Amino acid sequence: MGALDFLFGWAFLVPLFPALAFVLVGLGGTRMKRFEWGGWVAVALSFAAMVVGVLIGVGEMLSPGTYTDTSTVWLTVPGPVGPFPNGFSLVMGTLVDPVSALMLIVVTVVGFLVMLYSIGYMHHDHGLPRYYAELSLFLTAMIGLVLSDNLLEFFLFWELVGVCSYFLIGFYYEKPSAASAAKEAFLVTRVGDVLFLLGVFIYFATYALAGGGAGWAAAGFKFASGNGPFLGSLVTGASSPTLTVAGLMMLAGAAGKSAQFPLHVWLPDAMEGPTTVSALIHAATMVAAGVYLLAVTSLFLGFTPTDQLAIVAVGGFTTFFAATMAVVQPDIKRVIAYSTISQLGYMVLAVGAGFTMVGMFHLFTHAFFKALLFLAAGSVIHAVGTQDLFKMGGLRKHMRVTYVAFLVGALSLSGIPPFAGFFSKDDVLASVYSQLGAHPAYWPFFLLALGAVFLTGYYIFRAFFLAFHGDRPRDAALPAAHEGPWVMRVPLVVLSALAVLAGLFVFAPPFAHLLAPGFTVGGIAPALQGVALGANVPPVYGTTDLALSAVSVALAGGGVLTAWRLWGNGRVYALPEGSPAAPVRRLLLNRYYMKVGYDWIGQRAVYSVARAADFFEQFVIDGTIRGIEGTFARMSDGLRRIQTGVVSDYAAYVVTGVIGLLLLLLFLGPWIVTALGGG
Amino acid sequence: MTAIPPVDFLALSAILLGIGLFGILTRRNFILLLISIEIAMNAAILNFVVFAAYSGTGGGIGGQAVAVVLVGLAATEVAVGLAIVLALNRVRGSINVAEATTLRQ
Repeated sequence: MGALDFLFGWAFLVPLFPALAFVLVGLGGTRMKRFEWGGWVAVALSFAAMVVGVLIGVGEMLSPGTYTDTSTVWLTVPGPVGPFPNGFSLVMGTLVDPVSALMLIVVTVVGFLVMLYSIGYMHHDHGLPRYYAELSLFLTAMIGLVLSDNLLEFFLFWELVGVCSYFLIGFYYEKPSAASAAKEAFLVTRVGDVLFLLGVFIYFATYALAGGGAGWAAAGFKFASGNGPFLGSLVTGASSPTLTVAGLMMLAGAAGKSAQFPLHVWLPDAMEGPTTVSALIHAATMVAAGVYLLAVTSLFLGFTPTDQLAIVAVGGFTTFFAATMAVVQPDIKRVIAYSTISQLGYMVLAVGAGFTMVGMFHLFTHAFFKALLFLAAGSVIHAVGTQDLFKMGGLRKHMRVTYVAFLVGALSLSGIPPFAGFFSKDDVLASVYSQLGAHPAYWPFFLLALGAVFLTGYYIFRAFFLAFHGDRPRDAALPAAHEGPWVMRVPLVVLSALAVLAGLFVFAPPFAHLLAPGFTVGGIAPALQGVALGANVPPVYGTTDLALSAVSVALAGGGVLTAWRLWGNGRVYALPEGSPAAPVRRLLLNRYYMKVGYDWIGQRAVYSVARAADFFEQFVIDGTIRGIEGTFARMSDGLRRIQTGVVSDYAAYVVTGVIGLLLLLLFLGPWIVTALGGG
Repeated sequence: MTAIPPVDFLALSAILLGIGLFGILTRRNFILLLISIEIAMNAAILNFVVFAAYSGTGGGIGGQAVAVVLVGLAATEVAVGLAIVLALNRVRGSINVAEATTLRQ
């Protein structure tokens, strides 16, 4: 606790800035024509969020620790309830620790740059107030998620992130493909969300039962501060099947959000949204949320060995699997989209292997170079009006800034030193490598990740050469390319600088301690650290296996050179007729037919069940109700006819009734008296 | 004076009620309707008086008292009824109850 403590009390402000922008632009954006339909308001407030966010992030680096603010009680459940003799409260608090500080910097910086870039990129679009309002809400949700201090609050923001991605992917909702992509993203991630919520319930129940009411009430629903010993006691029983299942649920949630196999299908289709939204989704928000979930779960709750193997398997496999699909893509944005899936696989891999901070480090560098790649691609699309790589070409001459920016992003993505991606990717590989002795089962996934390094270098430079090299565009109909306005160039330059420098932070003292062996998150029991951070010493860059670095750089360089051989200098490589690779190419272009398969499941299996349910609902349930209703309707219709409004008719009914009663008494009177037991 | 058996009075009462009901059911003229109601009502009043007279000294004058009250009530009722007749006539220009089926203008 030091002089910077006051800073962490401001954490709640960070999500409030973009939230204010959401309200202002959402309500009044249509009257802000002079401010780019509210765009400048959103830029200004995201800048404010960035300033406070970076201040908090730097403060955390200078004075590491866990700072929580739980003064806002959302809901109080009075006791005794279940295992809580004194009840419990649900808090909407903020938590700043090294992990969330790192994320906070990423989210606010990338968020601001994307917002600024949008001013130029979206200038000619319609519905801008909606765009800026939704983008601001997206940012709010992601910042809120990063700063959440308990799993329930985390889940609320998580869902808000999901719905914002739905809005923004479907921004061009009049386009059927965009509307369907938005729906797909929403539904596929929903599969993970439901499982994630189940996982939260399992953790809640496990803790509540294991720790007793008092312990849990003290810890609240938090995943951090103050419950260290409590978590430590959990770790001793870490192989419990219940916790394994809960961990797998977390993995499922992360796989949905971070587009890991087999829930990756939505991400390439999410390219239907504006490129700026893709940049935000791929770099800072949405997909980062899944990895962040795994990170906080591993740090604060712990994974069992089975969970870790599952996470390594999913991450390692996805890394390679997504990279293969990027190899044949003709669409510049989709190449980058598949590369995101692949890179997220590296992060998941590292978290699974027990090196949470290494995964977060890769997330950190990836955010910058991926945002850079997307914004550069957006600049290209803005200039030539197409996303088809085979129509582009020769853009190098007309778009110098974009050319350099894309090159920096591509080198960083490939993992060529000294660009940021090299340090983090190498750390991921080295950390998994260090676990191979203890866990031979990790071997295949390590090799897949290594293979993906080659593919990464190949596919991103294939796109690079196709777009920028050669003499002129292959499609003569393309408009003359031009560089975007300053609001588009500035983010490219800033992100280029970050994509070069972010990796060097690994040597800087404030960051280095995150990756150092003794790294701790406040309040976590030492026993847990062994599980979460790997029992072995994590690699600190510079002391790791240099041979491994050499191999990975050689692989990446090999990929780049292969791309140059096939596509460089305006060459367009065509598979020879009857090549054995042709069916493979078709398989990759069709994305392993997984989307077709999912559609088949949706159309056949789910739709059949839905139709059966619909039939039951329409005919059995509704039929019964309609039958009852119809009977009464017909009866009342008959009765309605005697209401003529003529006084004499009513008099006649009364008289008839009275006479009827008299006759009844006359004939049945004695019998009634007998029946009632009278004399 | 030969005592008249009470049955005769009750028969008269029943006849009055029948006449009244017949009028209520068949007349369409509001005033005739009111008159018919009065006749039916008088059948009831007659019953009170008859039973009071034949119940001996134990019955007291309760029956007669009720009868007097009822006569007063009938007068009130007719006053209200005639007011309705006037209002109806003013609104519709007719006092045929078969036409006044809606209770609104």
